[in-house]
Amino acid sequence: MAQDHVRIAEDAKGKRATYDEIEVGQTLGSMEWMVTEDMINQQCEMDMDYHLWFSVDSPWGRRIAPPQISYRPPRWLFSRAYNVRGLFYKWELENVRPIMPGVTLKVTGSIADKYVKNDREFVVYQAEAVDPEGNVIFRTRRTHVLDFVERTAPRAGKGIDSGIKPEKI
Amino acid sequence: MAILDADTSVGYELPQIARQFRLEHFKRADEKTIHTDTEAARREGLPAPVAVGPQVAALIFQQLRVCFERGWIEGGKCELTFRRPVFVTDFCVAKGTVTRREETADGVRLHCDVWIENQKGDKVIVGNASGIVPRRHG
Repeated sequence: MAQDHVRIAEDAKGKRATYDEIEVGQTLGSMEWMVTEDMINQQCEMDMDYHLWFSVDSPWGRRIAPPQISYRPPRWLFSRAYNVRGLFYKWELENVRPIMPGVTLKVTGSIADKYVKNDREFVVYQAEAVDPEGNVIFRTRRTHVLDFVERTAPRAGKGIDSGIKPEKI
Repeated sequence: MAILDADTSVGYELPQIARQFRLEHFKRADEKTIHTDTEAARREGLPAPVAVGPQVAALIFQQLRVCFERGWIEGGKCELTFRRPVFVTDFCVAKGTVTRREETADGVRLHCDVWIENQKGDKVIVGNASGIVPRRHG
């Protein structure tokens, strides 16, 4: 039974992480991530952007992925550590080198900051991806608001959605 | 061919990229999420399902790719703030202007203000971005 004006306390993936539980400086660990041809196709379809470089060939010798495909792995690292639904608030990204299909990247993240503003709780996390030669491919820093509802609202009730998703495009 | 180059003036308006979103754009299998299900959104305090932020921001990324081409893929930078929710049936258009030139070792970095407006003209995503364009020869 949904309650009005509460911050959700749990969902099907378990208890939601609270602001106090999130530790600034904590590593989010790392993951290996390889973009496939199928993943590029899905990203292009989702964004309805079918540039030649993403679909056929590019100046880098083969097709490349749209840079924004990099959104997911850092979010997965965050979700592995904390069950946060919330909403995306800020997105900083730097495209250092193209993301190539078939290349395994190592993505490493950490919690960079947290703060309270406008009666809401925010967490900042950051990540970097490198290729097998150690070249940086992308860097990102994101801010996530833990709840759309103000922090003065009680935590109660069960959510339908969760921040923890299947790790796929 | 990139639209922006070393001759581009500050104040140049970036090409607009628009999209009419629909609920179907945000569906993943049969998952009920705040992006696809009214009750899931309502429980989180949202009045209606909201668009997936990165899918909306992709309009800006497409705009930057068109403007900078290679200079977006290698050396592109962007900082965006999602100011207010975009709903799943909103019309969105990415806009932007060139604000500054910066000489760098790799070429000229052009800085831009970028934003997305909804059908009411509200700026729902705002930020800045930059990319490298080749330096003029000779």
